[in-house]
Amino acid sequence: MSVGSSADRSAVTPVPTGVTLVVGLGNPLLADDGVGWRVVEAVRGRLAGDPALTADPAFADVELDHLAVGGLSLMERLVGYRRAILVDAMVTGEHPPGTVRRFSIADIPGREATHLDSAHDASLAVALAAGRSLGADLPAEIAIVAVEAVRVDEFAEVLTPAVAAAIPAAVEVVLAAIGETVG
Amino acid sequence: MTRITIDPITRLEGHGKIEIFLDPAGEVERTYFQVPELRGFEQFCVGRPVEEMPVLVNRICGVCPEAHHMAAAKAADAVYHVDPPRPAKLLRELLYSAFYVADHTTHFYALSGPDFVVGPDAPVAERNLLGVLKKVGSDAGGRVIETRRRCHRVVEIIGGRAIHPCTSVPGGLTKGITAEERAEIEETARRMIDFGAFSLQLFDDLILGNPGYVEMITGPMYQHETYSMGLVDGAGKVNFYDGRVRIVGPDGALHGEYAPADYREWIAERVEPWTYLKFPYLRKVGWDGFTDGAASGVYSATPLSRLNVADGMATPNAQAAFERFYETLAPGPGAGPGGKRMVHGRLAMHWARLVELTYAAERMLELVSDPEITSDRVRAVPTERPTEGVGTVEAPRGTLTHHYWTDERGILTKVNLVVGTTNNYAPIAMSVERAARSLIHGGEVVGEGLLNRIEMAFRAYDPCFGCATHSLPGQMPLEVVIRDAAGGVVDVRRQFC
Repeated sequence: MSVGSSADRSAVTPVPTGVTLVVGLGNPLLADDGVGWRVVEAVRGRLAGDPALTADPAFADVELDHLAVGGLSLMERLVGYRRAILVDAMVTGEHPPGTVRRFSIADIPGREATHLDSAHDASLAVALAAGRSLGADLPAEIAIVAVEAVRVDEFAEVLTPAVAAAIPAAVEVVLAAIGETVG
Repeated sequence: MTRITIDPITRLEGHGKIEIFLDPAGEVERTYFQVPELRGFEQFCVGRPVEEMPVLVNRICGVCPEAHHMAAAKAADAVYHVDPPRPAKLLRELLYSAFYVADHTTHFYALSGPDFVVGPDAPVAERNLLGVLKKVGSDAGGRVIETRRRCHRVVEIIGGRAIHPCTSVPGGLTKGITAEERAEIEETARRMIDFGAFSLQLFDDLILGNPGYVEMITGPMYQHETYSMGLVDGAGKVNFYDGRVRIVGPDGALHGEYAPADYREWIAERVEPWTYLKFPYLRKVGWDGFTDGAASGVYSATPLSRLNVADGMATPNAQAAFERFYETLAPGPGAGPGGKRMVHGRLAMHWARLVELTYAAERMLELVSDPEITSDRVRAVPTERPTEGVGTVEAPRGTLTHHYWTDERGILTKVNLVVGTTNNYAPIAMSVERAARSLIHGGEVVGEGLLNRIEMAFRAYDPCFGCATHSLPGQMPLEVVIRDAAGGVVDVRRQFC
């Protein structure tokens, strides 16, 4: 956990952090499972290389990160931000590989995105509710951008072609989400 | 034959499921337990330098990366025939102890808590961490979060990064710690010792004070009299970071004790036609099917089995908790190490975790108080030609072994991993079957608790299947389809789907 390291700070009170956190979720060694990381890397490249974007106030205070954890650890990472955008793989089998979808945490249909939850602690929804009940300052808005994956159970560092081809579209969805007015 | 299918993994169709076959009288004949497994890790590693492994294996899964990091670091030491200096070993074990406190805390409050603190028959919507916090109060909740934060901070100080440490290299560590960092860790250790005592008291008040829960722990539904495995130190006490592997029989008699590098002389793997999982068993006992007893080579490697194999705990509060554990659940002298009787109720694992949590916290304080802990003598540079090596630690979910072979340049030519949960595949399958047998009679599910009772069988082991369950949800979706003899669906039950 990257916040609140001083000894006498209460458990979930954050060090003040940025406005917007964008997190790529997944395992970069598990083929398409790493698509969230790749999308966030591509977002980083766009932000670095596009002066028009960096001049936009909505992009002034954006932090990018990668995580291979869900549940409580993910909730803990979100403490202190006004909003979060989570980029993940999804395996629904109902959409063509590479399909990009955007959800709100409030209306996420079941468990479509792969890494929000952890079988070893809690679902993200429960972790967020638990964090809030303990006074944690958690984002009011949590958007999820998910890419339909094909191969997620075999070790490889490359994405399958349809998923790799979806990265630019996913980047645009993430940039559009960042560009929206913070509520 | 009637078939009941429980499919716990809705997103990975065709991978993970439980199938329950009934005989013509409608009694459970057999359950088949299949889970997803990641493929190709060993091949993925071949051709890479062995010193990359401690960082690479962090990425096998997001649940116990610290355990894989440690096993890989120790295996890489062995490949290079190098013994890290004492301060490096102290620091590694200190990191590992902090990881244990965080992992056991998380499991107890987020996974055991819903069953024992909230209750197994509570509404599904309340059987989660939030329900636990409502019951135990926000003070306890704050302590859980503080424990996680502080322990992750210790991992970050020593391991260079939170969650995914990167400082272990063949022969030791890339850096030591400062006096200021030492002081912060000492404060954390003291708080964790308090937290261990608090958690044991909570267990006393909420669980041991409830006869229904005690009956659940000691009753027959989750009892399996298997062999037990765990690492012990030179005095026969539980150790997570190092030691010899000890195995005791169902009655507690010593089966054997060996250096981890000799694991293949003791452990064999059973292949079954219905799954790609391999079921480890004791080579010198032999495979006798999914059954318990001294004639069956099925063994368990869990928090409970670690206590079962040990003479005791190496620290005072943990030793007191250990004694209370056995006096409560298996009073009287027995044939086990230290003259105790074995405990075989799988749900006792939840209590065993708190005993271990207390030990890990006390061990943190011992280690951080060692005069050498801030030494900068943290690495012995390897000079010998690399060949082959085994590294073993106790992962929270069972004995974890990494075995590497390299060429003369230290490039991996072969990798073999026996991960914690793998040890327990056969006992998990047995626990699921036992739960099903208890709850299905005459072709019908008796009562409403089937899904959660089967989940509880899983959950006690906190299984990390193929190190893949980071992609599974915290509340396991279960679907039970009951079919009549002609294959028609007569009943469907779901939760979290």
